[in-house]
Amino acid sequence: MLYKVLDKNNYKDFLSGLIKNYNVIGPKKINKVLHDFLPVKNFDEIDLGYVKTTLPPAKKILFPSEEGLISYTTNNIKIEPLNESEEKILFGINAWDLNGMNFLDRIFTTDFIDDNYVEKREKLIVIGMDTTPSDTNFATEMGSEYANSGFDLFMTDIGSKYFIRVATPKGTELLSKFAKVKEAAAADFNAYDKFKEAYQSKFKVSADVSNFHENFEVIYGKNELWDRLSKNCFSCGSCNLVCPTCFCFNVKDDMKIDLETGIKSREWDSCMIPDYGLVAGGHNFRPNRANRLKQRYRCKLKTFVDKFGTNSCIGCGRCVETCLAKINIYEDINAIKEEVSL
Amino acid sequence: MVLEMAEKTKNQPLYVPDIATITETEDLTPTEKKFVIRFDDKEKREQFTFLPGQFLEVTVFGIGEAPFSIPSSPNQKGSFELCVRNIGSVSGAMHKLMVGAKIGIRGPFGKGYFPYEKMKGNNVVIIAGGLGLAPVRSLIKLILEDRKSYKGLTLIYGCVEPNLLLYKDEVQELKKRDDIDVMLTVDRPDENWNESVGVCTNLIPGLKYLPEDTYAVVCGPPIMYRFVMIELEEKKYKPENIFLDMERRMECGVGKCNHCHIGDKLCCVDGPIFSLWEIKNLKEAL
Repeated sequence: MLYKVLDKNNYKDFLSGLIKNYNVIGPKKINKVLHDFLPVKNFDEIDLGYVKTTLPPAKKILFPSEEGLISYTTNNIKIEPLNESEEKILFGINAWDLNGMNFLDRIFTTDFIDDNYVEKREKLIVIGMDTTPSDTNFATEMGSEYANSGFDLFMTDIGSKYFIRVATPKGTELLSKFAKVKEAAAADFNAYDKFKEAYQSKFKVSADVSNFHENFEVIYGKNELWDRLSKNCFSCGSCNLVCPTCFCFNVKDDMKIDLETGIKSREWDSCMIPDYGLVAGGHNFRPNRANRLKQRYRCKLKTFVDKFGTNSCIGCGRCVETCLAKINIYEDINAIKEEVSL
Repeated sequence: MVLEMAEKTKNQPLYVPDIATITETEDLTPTEKKFVIRFDDKEKREQFTFLPGQFLEVTVFGIGEAPFSIPSSPNQKGSFELCVRNIGSVSGAMHKLMVGAKIGIRGPFGKGYFPYEKMKGNNVVIIAGGLGLAPVRSLIKLILEDRKSYKGLTLIYGCVEPNLLLYKDEVQELKKRDDIDVMLTVDRPDENWNESVGVCTNLIPGLKYLPEDTYAVVCGPPIMYRFVMIELEEKKYKPENIFLDMERRMECGVGKCNHCHIGDKLCCVDGPIFSLWEIKNLKEAL
């Protein structure tokens, strides 16, 4: 890791240089309340003041909501793998979202290498930026408030300068080509430490996930609790669609109208939708809302503790803001904790 | 061997199937059909092998992809079989395909298989319910091909009605042999039925094998497992020697789509065959 500082006066030149030479994807304001990661054509389009989180999360760049896997012709069957990827810069992703992306990296490279994801990831240049958390953010409780890996450059606003952590040779190259940076001095490290202190205190929400993993064994069979937590759920799947770490997908085949060419593609799926656990013949492994909510919390807070040693929830709070039924994961975590301690 | 296979799969795009041709079909029951499949590519055809219990993702072009286990013997060269119940969109489309039709095959998948090597020198009890006979048929064949390496062999096979029994002629042939004990049972007998009546579970207490040298294999509808487990534990069979076929909705087959997970286990990658010990405390599994 190298440490540099960029004077704010040179910030615009740096970004304009990147935009001129690369396909840059950055946070853009799309309406009064929402931001989205979209292609950026000039500097003014970028809006880093996104307190409200971006919807959908940046995972769509690596794992699009719908993506072709193979195409084929039904006459003298010929199969072609589909995989679109190109070099891009993702600018302005914050720490917890980047940690979400790091989690997806593990999913798509464990057991089997998923080329469709991995090729996009390898070609993605990531320039992260520390941002202000929203009122529903509990990243500190999930240990995802800092980005330690997965980026080329990571920028932090320390007053009149940006403190830049450089993690890859590509990052060095970008800085040397487009930015007038200096080595970080002792005063800059001090300012960065001060930022971190103030940053920690901006996370207002607490969610006690300690021991959730063991507690899950105890609460698994408490049907009344699960019925209570899930009673308002519409099974709409919004929580999954906005989640930076949800990765479930359906695989489907479609024929074009000529009935000769077909495409096998994947599209995001949701574990909260009733037919998620449905198999041919009509058996549903998770027939009711309580099963499904329990499964979602299990996946976010237990499954990957067992598997990778980490929660798969990064605490961004998007699902809390999106849920039509006001189901709130951190309140439920605390409710579960209380239930266990009774 | 399994690792090698995983390595091999890593080198080819995950979602690209190999093209294969249906060379033979046979109606096994009013709802189940047997297919004999041959890979078009000569090299693939000669290389293809699998472990008993592993499964394939079968594409009916234009319709979709679904997982099927392989009922033929891993030693069968040049072709393999599928047993398909007409019950979903892909299986329904399969039933309409004729000899000569092309399908796509990915796999074999699954690190969990019936440990036929470990079973050597032991008794093996195979308990199958309904379509559950298909995955275990490859194991039965494998054991019969090397019969002297195993001790006792018992097949308990149950289904709803006599006309729904799979591989009827074959099962009748097995009944005639003295090196395999075949017990059949149906829920609803007809006037010609002279075997047991009721669920498979009823036949377990009569097993004479002792826990020290017995492996048990279970495959059937989800409802069957819980009751079979109670009976097998009653017999004191060791949980690490009881193997269950846990089939869920395996869409991608390679541990990505997550539909088949049970807690931290993925049926498609870690299974589909699990020992009872592995899943005993795995919530939602049984």
